[in-house]
Amino acid sequence: MSTNYEALARQLVARAKKKGAQQAEAYIEVGREASVRVRDGAIEDLTQATSKGAGIRVFVKGRLGFAWTSDFTKDSLDAFVDRAVELAAASAPDASNGLPDKKAVFGHTDVGALYDPEVATLDPEWKIRTAFELEKAGKAVDPRIKTFESVGAGESVSEVYLASSEGAGGGYQGTFVYLFGAPVAAENDQLQTSYWFDYQRFLSELDSPESIGREAARRALRLLGARKVKSQKVPVIFDPTMAAQFVSTIAAAANGDAVFKKSSFLASHLGQKLAPEGVTLVDDGTLKRGLGTAPFDGEGVPTRRTAIIEKGVLGAFLYDTFTARKAKRATTGNASRGYRSLPSIGTNNLYLEAGTRDPESIIKEVKNGFYVTSMLGHGENLVTGEYSRGANGLWIENGELGRPVQEVTVAGHLLKMLEGIDAVGNDLTFRGSTGAPTVRFSELTVSGE
Amino acid sequence: MARTPKTPVKGPVVPVPIVERLLSAAMEKGGDFAEVYVERTVLTAVSLEENKIKSAQTGLQQGVGVRVISGARVGYAYSDDLDDEALFRAARTAALIAQGTGSERSFNVARKPLPTFYRLDQHLADVEVSRKADLVVRANRAARAYDRRVKQVNCTYVDQTRTMLVANTEGHLAEDQQDLCRLNVTVVAEGKNGERRVGSYGGGGRVPFTHFDTFTPELVAAEAARQAIATLGAVDARAGQQTVVLAPGWSGILLHEAVGHGLEADFIRKGTSLFAGKLGQKVASDLVTVIDDGTMANARGSLNVDDEGHPPQFKVLIERGILKGYMYDAHNARLMGQQSTGSGRRESFKHLPMPRMTNTYLAPGESSHDEIIKSVSSGIYCANFGGGQVDITNGNFVFEVREAYQIEKGKLGKPLKGVTLIGVGPEALKNVSQVGNDPMPDPGMGTCGKDGQSVPVGVGLPTVRIDNMTVGGTRV
Repeated sequence: MSTNYEALARQLVARAKKKGAQQAEAYIEVGREASVRVRDGAIEDLTQATSKGAGIRVFVKGRLGFAWTSDFTKDSLDAFVDRAVELAAASAPDASNGLPDKKAVFGHTDVGALYDPEVATLDPEWKIRTAFELEKAGKAVDPRIKTFESVGAGESVSEVYLASSEGAGGGYQGTFVYLFGAPVAAENDQLQTSYWFDYQRFLSELDSPESIGREAARRALRLLGARKVKSQKVPVIFDPTMAAQFVSTIAAAANGDAVFKKSSFLASHLGQKLAPEGVTLVDDGTLKRGLGTAPFDGEGVPTRRTAIIEKGVLGAFLYDTFTARKAKRATTGNASRGYRSLPSIGTNNLYLEAGTRDPESIIKEVKNGFYVTSMLGHGENLVTGEYSRGANGLWIENGELGRPVQEVTVAGHLLKMLEGIDAVGNDLTFRGSTGAPTVRFSELTVSGE
Repeated sequence: MARTPKTPVKGPVVPVPIVERLLSAAMEKGGDFAEVYVERTVLTAVSLEENKIKSAQTGLQQGVGVRVISGARVGYAYSDDLDDEALFRAARTAALIAQGTGSERSFNVARKPLPTFYRLDQHLADVEVSRKADLVVRANRAARAYDRRVKQVNCTYVDQTRTMLVANTEGHLAEDQQDLCRLNVTVVAEGKNGERRVGSYGGGGRVPFTHFDTFTPELVAAEAARQAIATLGAVDARAGQQTVVLAPGWSGILLHEAVGHGLEADFIRKGTSLFAGKLGQKVASDLVTVIDDGTMANARGSLNVDDEGHPPQFKVLIERGILKGYMYDAHNARLMGQQSTGSGRRESFKHLPMPRMTNTYLAPGESSHDEIIKSVSSGIYCANFGGGQVDITNGNFVFEVREAYQIEKGKLGKPLKGVTLIGVGPEALKNVSQVGNDPMPDPGMGTCGKDGQSVPVGVGLPTVRIDNMTVGGTRV
């Protein structure tokens, strides 16, 4: 950890104040990363990089100005602080503008370790070797795995520093390590692909390359021979990765800004029971070793646990400081950002709590339905709640996973989907900073032939 | 109002003698090829919501990326410091891919004269922020004046002025200044019983700021508001196979997704595209001619030079249904024994170049727009698309249609909601049954994502009829 950057952040704040800002905040990110991609047992590319940048947010007479730069020479930094102050003149004053106050930024959450020295000092050969192992294990599953579109491994180390005129300050560092593979399965002129990966802060928690390679292969192989089905309304099951995408959509609709502007289908439902008892959706910035865990958010506010849906009841929306002031609420520590962007509302670690049902029994109960393993498109309308996405997966016949399906859409309304969740698995799985177990919806429209 | 910022838009970013020494350093382990890419980009953005300019912001992104190729292996290193120490560290790091013994070779590079498909008298970074702010203020006013049912208006203006330099051990050096801007308006309208509909429109390109004298904020706002108001009262679409008619212009995104990506050389080389090995074969209806053109004047996807120093091209990808060619970057071209088509693009110095589209469009046909609509006894008219996505391996694509209408007996009927189109690229192309004589480029609002990299692209299409398209919806 470099205290130099903390000092630099304070210097930028001091200059902004001197140039006429009533409030100022500097956010600095410093990082390095390395990655490898391999294919057919040979290295495709090796990348190594260092990066850094500073974002300067100022308020002048209630007006917001923002500038960022990756050029840390003194003249350039000074010029960008001055530019942020100048730019404030171009925006409008807003009573809700301003940095979080002293009380809001007091203390940082103890989130435990985010930094793994093993990742920070990873042998470059490790990435190459593991990526080879992943590819080999995937190909060994079945001769129909012809190739990999990509296989890779990488790690990064990142540091964040923040200082503000209102007393926010601090820094933290973290590590990330990942492995991924996208195999291609071929049979009878049809190609199918899939993607499987693991992403962790700690090396010891990373899935083995063999297991990732095998899972990637399995997911591609089982789609071979996929075709359309007839249009019909049936029970639909999302596997944990697709359920994670679904809960991300719900969380995006719980964005306090969208809610305030009535641009969210959830806006008028706070406090209402929208889903069965077994549905609890949480954002938790303090989750131990979570990918999205940090002691404070993008404006220095301590992170916390917020239940968006608690036992089926819509319990909370997510806020940053600006939106909270506007909506007369309190920030939930969900200001998300990089140095190049202003804070905006985002999730930290988002997950649907595990239920009690084992996933096999959830499938077993379905006579005729659809088990979705991958989706395409962005057909979620957060304003209206309409939902329609391209889907691939397996058809369920008499409780068994059967023939592969592609080129269909799954459609419904997000409110009705929440209401219609009739089973939640005990298999909560995190891939990245969002997690979910298997989820079953009592009825959705599948469009095909 | 803020003064005009002093912009650092002056070249060269790194002096030529240093570039030449960097190439030597990059080859010190005996690589086959080395390339230096330097970038300095100034970005400006103004956003308005709830009748107020929420923020005005600017940023500077700069850095160097060094690529060394040894056989089929690529070493890449980048840094956002541009001092000599950082530059040479990047070059030496990338050099390690070759693992050979040290050799001292020197390289000379000569500047290439570039075409000028866009050349601005005044860079966008040099335009007063107050003029940019004025655009979003005017757009907001116009959108709210359009109809009292307009409840919410968000406007953004963004621009960037990129100064780039690319040089390689083949002796090429190219420098370009790439301006790009976009004005965007999103409108939420409220109808009866709290029904809310969204309209969104925008555009720009590699155009001078005076573009907005004719492509006015009022025009952009009115179109966004029109879409939102027009779709109030929309009814559920019937799910299943139907005839669809695509409106000219932005619908070209369907072509971009359904066909374009599958013709990019990296997927072809790896055999992961379903268009691999099909050169010379019939992959679409006779009515289909697809072109990728990086040389269109001032278009969002145009380039004076690609990010590997190669000239952009006018490329016929599919001619009357026959697959004619792929899009190559230099690296994949080299591995496949082909020539670059000027398709090597990257998001920034932080990224390796990849084969990408520029401006991709469908050539015009014979039918008039009205004839095409009249020919459909029952189907869906897709007036405006949201986004789309493709799985290039199995060819599945998906599009969200933001503004759609029922077609009954050759006439447009009720607006439809929640319409999604899904298909398999080549099958959809074979089902193209009519192509209009009304080609239209999109207004300049496309951004294409691939492998985590975003680049600006153009799309375009005349009115097109496609039979037997699967329409997703909630009504069976």
